[in-house]
Amino acid sequence: MRDPVPPAWRRYAEPVFLFALLFVPLLTDKYTQYVCNLVLVYALVGIGLNLLLGYAGQFAFAHAAFMGIGAYSAALLTTRLGVPFWISLPAAGAIAMIIGAIAVLPALRMKRVYLALATIAFAELVTWGLVHWKAVTLGTDGVDLKAPYFFGWRIGSDNTKYFVLLAVAAIMYLFAKRILQSKIGRAFVAIRENEIVAQCNGIDVARTKTIAFALSAFYAGIGGALFALTLGFIVPDGFGLGQIALHFSIVVIGGLASLPGSLIGAVLVTILPEALRGLQGVQELVYGLTLMLFILFMPSGIAGLLRKYGLLPREILAAPGWREQAAERRHAGASAKAAE
Amino acid sequence: MDIATLLLAGIAKGSLYALAALALVLIYKTQDVVNFAFGEIFMFGAFSGYISLKILTLPYWLSFVLAVVTIGFFGALIERVAFRRVAHMPHLTLAMVTVGLSFAMKGAARIPFGSDIYTFPPIFPDEPIRMAGVVVAPQGLATIVVAVAVTGAFFLFFRRSSLGKQMRATQQNMTGARLVGVNVNKVFSVTWALSAAVGAVAGVLAAPSVLVYPDMGVTFLLKGFAAAVLGGLDSVPGAIVGGFLVGIIEMLVGGLVSTAFQDVSAFFIIMLVLFLKPDGLFGVRAMSRV
Repeated sequence: MRDPVPPAWRRYAEPVFLFALLFVPLLTDKYTQYVCNLVLVYALVGIGLNLLLGYAGQFAFAHAAFMGIGAYSAALLTTRLGVPFWISLPAAGAIAMIIGAIAVLPALRMKRVYLALATIAFAELVTWGLVHWKAVTLGTDGVDLKAPYFFGWRIGSDNTKYFVLLAVAAIMYLFAKRILQSKIGRAFVAIRENEIVAQCNGIDVARTKTIAFALSAFYAGIGGALFALTLGFIVPDGFGLGQIALHFSIVVIGGLASLPGSLIGAVLVTILPEALRGLQGVQELVYGLTLMLFILFMPSGIAGLLRKYGLLPREILAAPGWREQAAERRHAGASAKAAE
Repeated sequence: MDIATLLLAGIAKGSLYALAALALVLIYKTQDVVNFAFGEIFMFGAFSGYISLKILTLPYWLSFVLAVVTIGFFGALIERVAFRRVAHMPHLTLAMVTVGLSFAMKGAARIPFGSDIYTFPPIFPDEPIRMAGVVVAPQGLATIVVAVAVTGAFFLFFRRSSLGKQMRATQQNMTGARLVGVNVNKVFSVTWALSAAVGAVAGVLAAPSVLVYPDMGVTFLLKGFAAAVLGGLDSVPGAIVGGFLVGIIEMLVGGLVSTAFQDVSAFFIIMLVLFLKPDGLFGVRAMSRV
């Protein structure tokens, strides 16, 4: 197929894009900066759900709950125990990950529908816990997270928050990319395509599912902690079924099984509700219809469309450099033949 | 409160959950998908009852019938417009369509009605009846009677009528049914229409106690799930029994333990059943063909 983007440009696309993102705060006012911060948070959360739903093919409703667990862990550790934010941020991810890995144990025996049902029940239990466990979570009063310290730096303004968010998001994006190119990433896709075939090829299905859940919960947890940082105030209601609607929309509109897709989805899905602010009914209607239209008519999302026109590379789940190695082998084989 | 009163209230609630489970199981058996938009169909049922009764001021029985018929047609319309073209697609796609539908329907109700809560009158004036020391609300009795009648009608329909037999044939083997001349598309339409109509019946019956608002469907959907999972997702009698059990357990937990746990008892049931007996009480052990 014709390639409109020269391969040499492609190699530098990611660093250049990241470098350009450093200058965003120069162009924004306070409100647009806040929206940009939210986009980064949702990009992380979207990548987490995409690992589970898009790559590993597990249909679960617990992502918003893990985001809530992360947000509450970070906010409560920072404000009530005085833990510095640079510790409570990874701690939030770790707590979500551990709960995710434990919660998935009973779900390993389940398939499809039952998994979805069990995770809905789990999600409702978590929001119920956040409301009723008042001694720790302060119930429906919510938790304030005002300007925590990061290595002695006070992260108060939206601009400072942006750089913290950007650094974390960039690291997490590259981490996800590496994971997907590893054996684990290929195992995710294998169990998505056919569990039995995967098992016959020596993939431990239960272990792979546990990793997928734990990893996705880790992303949701970190995303949740950064969500708390961005908003400065969290309530249990924010992590219910409305939140999971956002996550599904990000992944489906952006593109299932595409990391850049999650970024695109996060941009669109975060800006839309800001434009329709205060019109909750219209928001729900637009999300619901878009979700249906994309699933019905464009199941590979915007990333799929871009891939079709060669604007996004096909994502190849092999270790970097495999092409060069393969070319070398071919070359070696050809010269061996020539020698004969 | 004494146990008998709690039990009777539990059965009244349970008959609503049984209807919800019945509606979910119907669609699951034919199309192998859980309808995540069911809570919103239930909500639409309650709202159409509210519109005909309070805004158009029609008589109660006519509003009830109108709501059931309208929502039944609406169910068939959803199947025709959104579902038929993806019926052969992976489970994930189908489930995602119903998730999208559920948000869209919630929004569609919120735009005209806002997030306000509307009251809905019961069928009979709400004077509790006392019989031999047991207190029961007339609405509860009416709910039980209607639910049992609907369930009975379904059993007759599946056993006796030609269409019912065609539906069962399609559930067992779609290709086989098509080969012997069953109009599978018609079966799909009828399934969705019946499921939505059952949802509307439940919606109008539940409206006086749960009140009418755009978010009313979520908890009901989860209770229906709990009932369907308890009975086994592919068993109609299981769904009915599961519904009554969930209702009774919920009332007993609320009355004897704490009302805070009443709302989450259903989720504990889901998780516990899936952990101990993943195919439910009456379900058939799932086999996967390689």
